[in-house]
Amino acid sequence: MKIDQLIKALDCEVVHRRKETGVKDLKHFVVSDLMSDVLLVDGDVDLLITSLATTQAIRTADIVSAIGVIVVNGKAVTADMKVSAKELDVTLLKTKLSSFEVCGTIHHLKGQE
Amino acid sequence: MTISEMTKLTELTLVQKEFEDGVISGGYTSDLLSDVIANAEANNILITIQAHINTVAVSKLVGIRAIVIANHREVPIDMVEAAQKEKIALFSSTLSQFSLSVLIGKHIHKQ
Amino acid sequence: MTDKGIPIKMEESTSLILDLIYQLKIKDVMTRNLVIASPEDSLDHIKTLMKQRNVTGIPIVKKDRLLGILSIDDIFKALDSGYMQELAEKHMSKKLVMLEEDMPLAFAISYFDKFKYGRFPVVDKNNLLVGMITSRDINVGLLMAINKEVARMEELLAQTTPVDAHHIRKMFRIRKYDFEHAGNASNRIKKLLVERKLDPKDIRRVAVAMYELEINIAVHSDGGTLTVIIDQDHAEITAKDSAPGIEHPELALQEGYSTANEWIKSLGFGAGMGLANIRRVSDSFDFQSALGKGTTVRAVIHFKRKEEKSHDH
Repeated sequence: MKIDQLIKALDCEVVHRRKETGVKDLKHFVVSDLMSDVLLVDGDVDLLITSLATTQAIRTADIVSAIGVIVVNGKAVTADMKVSAKELDVTLLKTKLSSFEVCGTIHHLKGQE
Repeated sequence: MTISEMTKLTELTLVQKEFEDGVISGGYTSDLLSDVIANAEANNILITIQAHINTVAVSKLVGIRAIVIANHREVPIDMVEAAQKEKIALFSSTLSQFSLSVLIGKHIHKQ
Repeated sequence: MTDKGIPIKMEESTSLILDLIYQLKIKDVMTRNLVIASPEDSLDHIKTLMKQRNVTGIPIVKKDRLLGILSIDDIFKALDSGYMQELAEKHMSKKLVMLEEDMPLAFAISYFDKFKYGRFPVVDKNNLLVGMITSRDINVGLLMAINKEVARMEELLAQTTPVDAHHIRKMFRIRKYDFEHAGNASNRIKKLLVERKLDPKDIRRVAVAMYELEINIAVHSDGGTLTVIIDQDHAEITAKDSAPGIEHPELALQEGYSTANEWIKSLGFGAGMGLANIRRVSDSFDFQSALGKGTTVRAVIHFKRKEEKSHDH
């Protein structure tokens, strides 16, 4: 699935977007609010889905080489987060949906492929 | 889907069996207990890695009647005992929060 | 004078200079031999004092406690307006920016950069005046330290084999509860390793270990340093912090054990996975901690694939 499909399906606000993200096929999703738990993941991470609206979500995404972060529950994205997202060139999206709902939507999109 | 129907899912292991059965209204996936208090709804199933006694207390507060501990986290004995006391079902799973959310979401929507 | 500020930036400075400005304490370079005056002294008296002792600013002190600073500008103003007989307490500047003697020199440098004052009073833990620091003190202190360090390095250079061009050594300062910047060092080192085309798995292991160590220092200590040494075949990361240290080091290594409070947990930390995560990604890991003495953690990661040697020079 492509990032644009996801942005549309989750009705995301795009805070920062990495240029080449459009072509990448997204396969690996991690949902977590505890960053150590994300760092524990062994395999690839394409997108981090979290309710943690701090710069650490962006930094962690960079460490595991994810292309982006989806902040859920309509949480406000801080100015620091915007700065980090630009600096580390991590795509930053925001949705009103909960983590649980985001997972369901992604699964639904996968089913359509 | 009811909690007793959930016990049939092979991906889940029932760790605490004494629960009050009922229909699951939806799922909530979170590791931040403050977030669960603020946003989860009664009769939701909670998917989390917070294998901690406080998770039971928060669930009781919100009206959550089933908790799934993800990522094969070990469930401490005091958490099991607290869940037993509150009649909250406790599951553990080797799946991630993402996979569990997809799995449980799928079953809820089947109905 | 320049408007550009002092050109010592964490990102751009050599590790030697960074080491020095963090190792040197303000008390190592400050002037202890103070010329002071009392709040009841007249401006005229203070003018004489400045002339005799050749200083341009005098701390106004009562019972070792600093009340204000009278600068040569205040004297000029008094001369212009003709109130030289009035008392220091009426005209001294009371908006004081003070430094503590145990702060690293880096703090003083950033203060000079930020506030544009010619001098700062230095106090001890009990807030009693113990010295003054000027840019000159910093120049002299730093030059002496650099001189010593360069002499030592020249001696080393004579003995050892040529330095490996692939060698990286960097030190980062991590402050307590600074969650905005904690993790920044890991992101930067990661970028560097990506540029070197190391194996992505190795890069991830180094970045994970570093990130957890950075967060650990910010969450649990009173602040500390992270030193990263990277060679062609391995990375060595050492985290050193000051007190409080860990009460139960054996428990701290257990997954899920956490002493973090609810506030820290609401920031997404303190799941009790930090040290376990570091150990998981490291090939060798050691950890020393004592209550009141701080903690040192060292993680070594051997690269699975050797770094590609560049042929373009």
